[in-house]
Amino acid sequence: MELTPSELDRLLIFSAAQLAESRRARGTKLNHPEATALIANAVIEAARDGATHAQAIHAGVNAVSPDELLDGIDSMLSGISVEAVFNDGRRLVVIDFPSNSDSSTPGSVTRLVQQSELQSDDLVTLDVHNNSTVDISVTTHMHFFEVNPRLIFDREASYGRHLFIPAGEHVDFPAGQTTSVTLVPITGNRIIIGFAGLVDGPLDAPGAREEAMRRARELGYLSGDKS
Amino acid sequence: MSEQDIAVHGARAGDFVRLGDTHLVVRVEADDRQRGNELQIGFGKNARDGIGMQSIRPSKSCDVVITNVLVIDAVLGIRVTSIGINEGRISAIGRSGNPDTMDDIDVVVGSGTVIIPGEGLIATAGGIDSHVHAMAPRVCDAALSSGVTTLIAQEFGPFWGVGVGSKWALGHGHKQFAAWPLNVGILGRGAGSTTDPLYEALEGGVCGFKIHEDTGAHPRTLDTTLSFADEHDVAVALHTDGLNEMMHVEDTIAAIAGRAVHAYHVEGCGGGHAPDVLRLAGHNNILASSTNPTLAFGINAADEHVAMIISAHGMNPELPSDIELARRRVRNATMAAENKLHDIGVIPVTSSDALGMGRADDTWRKTFAMASMFADRAILDGTVAPDDVVIENERVLRHIAKITINPALVHGLSHEVGSLQVGLLADIVLWPYRSFASKPNMVIKSGIPAWGVVGDPGSTVANAQPLTISAQFGAFGASAAELGVHFTNAMSTTTVEGRRSVPVKNTRTVRGTDMVRHGVLGTIDVDVHDYTVRFNGDIVTCNPLSESPLTRKYVL
Repeated sequence: MELTPSELDRLLIFSAAQLAESRRARGTKLNHPEATALIANAVIEAARDGATHAQAIHAGVNAVSPDELLDGIDSMLSGISVEAVFNDGRRLVVIDFPSNSDSSTPGSVTRLVQQSELQSDDLVTLDVHNNSTVDISVTTHMHFFEVNPRLIFDREASYGRHLFIPAGEHVDFPAGQTTSVTLVPITGNRIIIGFAGLVDGPLDAPGAREEAMRRARELGYLSGDKS
Repeated sequence: MSEQDIAVHGARAGDFVRLGDTHLVVRVEADDRQRGNELQIGFGKNARDGIGMQSIRPSKSCDVVITNVLVIDAVLGIRVTSIGINEGRISAIGRSGNPDTMDDIDVVVGSGTVIIPGEGLIATAGGIDSHVHAMAPRVCDAALSSGVTTLIAQEFGPFWGVGVGSKWALGHGHKQFAAWPLNVGILGRGAGSTTDPLYEALEGGVCGFKIHEDTGAHPRTLDTTLSFADEHDVAVALHTDGLNEMMHVEDTIAAIAGRAVHAYHVEGCGGGHAPDVLRLAGHNNILASSTNPTLAFGINAADEHVAMIISAHGMNPELPSDIELARRRVRNATMAAENKLHDIGVIPVTSSDALGMGRADDTWRKTFAMASMFADRAILDGTVAPDDVVIENERVLRHIAKITINPALVHGLSHEVGSLQVGLLADIVLWPYRSFASKPNMVIKSGIPAWGVVGDPGSTVANAQPLTISAQFGAFGASAAELGVHFTNAMSTTTVEGRRSVPVKNTRTVRGTDMVRHGVLGTIDVDVHDYTVRFNGDIVTCNPLSESPLTRKYVL
């Protein structure tokens, strides 16, 4: 058979699925590894029989029904990844289920006290125009003063600031459009190293802002003529 | 909004987290992050050069950081934080990021730092299994797969050793264990009527001695071994005279004479004075532990044990006198009492008795299944005010002490392992909230992922089925030896190539009152007719569990 390590792993899924299938046939409620094996196996077998990617997902999602599972298992099954051999080659399939967890679900987090929202008493709101033909995205903690020079806005007002949005999110600036953003001061020691090299030092050192503006002007960050 | 925030950032201060499918609900005591400045790695995230990462050398920041993780630690408590690691040790704990752009950074993340995202995960110290019969090499795989990173072994089988005496054999044993990213100490055989047999074991690099009735647990061996241990600062583990052949339990207590000793499987099912060896617990100098088959006392516990004893101890089921001896060791009442004595803080340590009379990969699971037995049910449907919800933080921290810091103290390892305090080895287990104490996601040994969940090796992604818990890179090459420690004694002349030898210390002065979140002392009585157990005069017992958490839903 000349089996590779991945093919040998596929046999582990099959063995576990066969075991789970025999338990299900006896009416035994399934646990986490059993249900996972049945779902992964259903995807692989659907692909083997010529299913499309979407059809294989359908097979996986419907491989087990909630009433065949031990309590709480249905909420533990999201994000099952498995690779199957489709007619056009090996493809990754990810099976997700809608979250229906409650406080009795294994590992559940219950939030009874609302967490505080992002707060700042020093906010600046600016209109930002994307003067280019491709979309631009800016992440939370980027020094906004040094973003892509094709974004046209009051750059000096953004000096020492970043987007006022939750960490890990970003703002999209669609090509040719103007988007309003809110900025908050950078915290910590307020030292900006790298980026476009417009500051490359303490933000609040004497003359730093003026020097950054001079460099920005020199490098075309203020004119908006790059497009 | 809350659901999305929890999915992205994990639990925050004040949130309630259910541990696996147990009744244990903890409330997060603190969150070291600053809202809006949580450090995240990935496409479009803020852990970038000059933003969340400072452009300095890793040696000036940290080699590895585990970010935004829910720490559950017997010493540090239950908090969301980040753990910085330098050269294999925990170097900082607290808020992580770049001090140039973020306030009050405790763990400086450099542009070259390895980032292990901890959102949705629980970080604990690696488990310490202080009672292992290494009867087969794969016991090490089983231990690592369950979140155990330190073993106190009694042999390197398949022979039954209950301690190893030969310096020559010990030299091989230490070399063999160097194949795994584990800290390993081996116990010498404490069967010495004279000190002669003990010296070679000491030179052979043992970290302590085991006194066992199968090789002699008589007054003389007790006194000789304990005196020798006192002289050389090594621990002594004790399996007492279960036959009562030469002494009763009170005679054993007298022979110990106030010296520190680790009383293995103190309930007695694993062996020792029948039927009242449990009386050893509660003394300040006798540090008691349990082995995992009697924990989370269950409806089938007694039935399992007779056959287990006969099989483990070289007995013969065809011999009626052997069956009778085995039956004397199995008592529901003392098992029920043992579980309760854990809950009230009298017994400070849990362990496996792997391949002897316990399971190498079940100690985390059984310790927390036991904690769950005694937990009150948290009411989280909003009908009870958040501050009035019954939570189990203290019970959870008491039980985690039993498998981490307390065995470290008992065996003189706490200068290296046992908690997530700054300065200790970065032996860290990451658990999903949903499978805490049952199946770990990653076992980090001295800062390097050494074991954990791995997927189809030919896949586009690292997490494709079939997921198995097995070796990671830290288990390969010369790393496996270097990431582990050889726990030894100061007189040892035995070294292991590539592995650091560390003498144990403070093993002779440790007392019950030093046991973290334990230290409850008192008098235990066992009725020798009906086995009723009393602690300071009050009956201690519990009802057997009919369905154990952390197992049925998780194990194929």
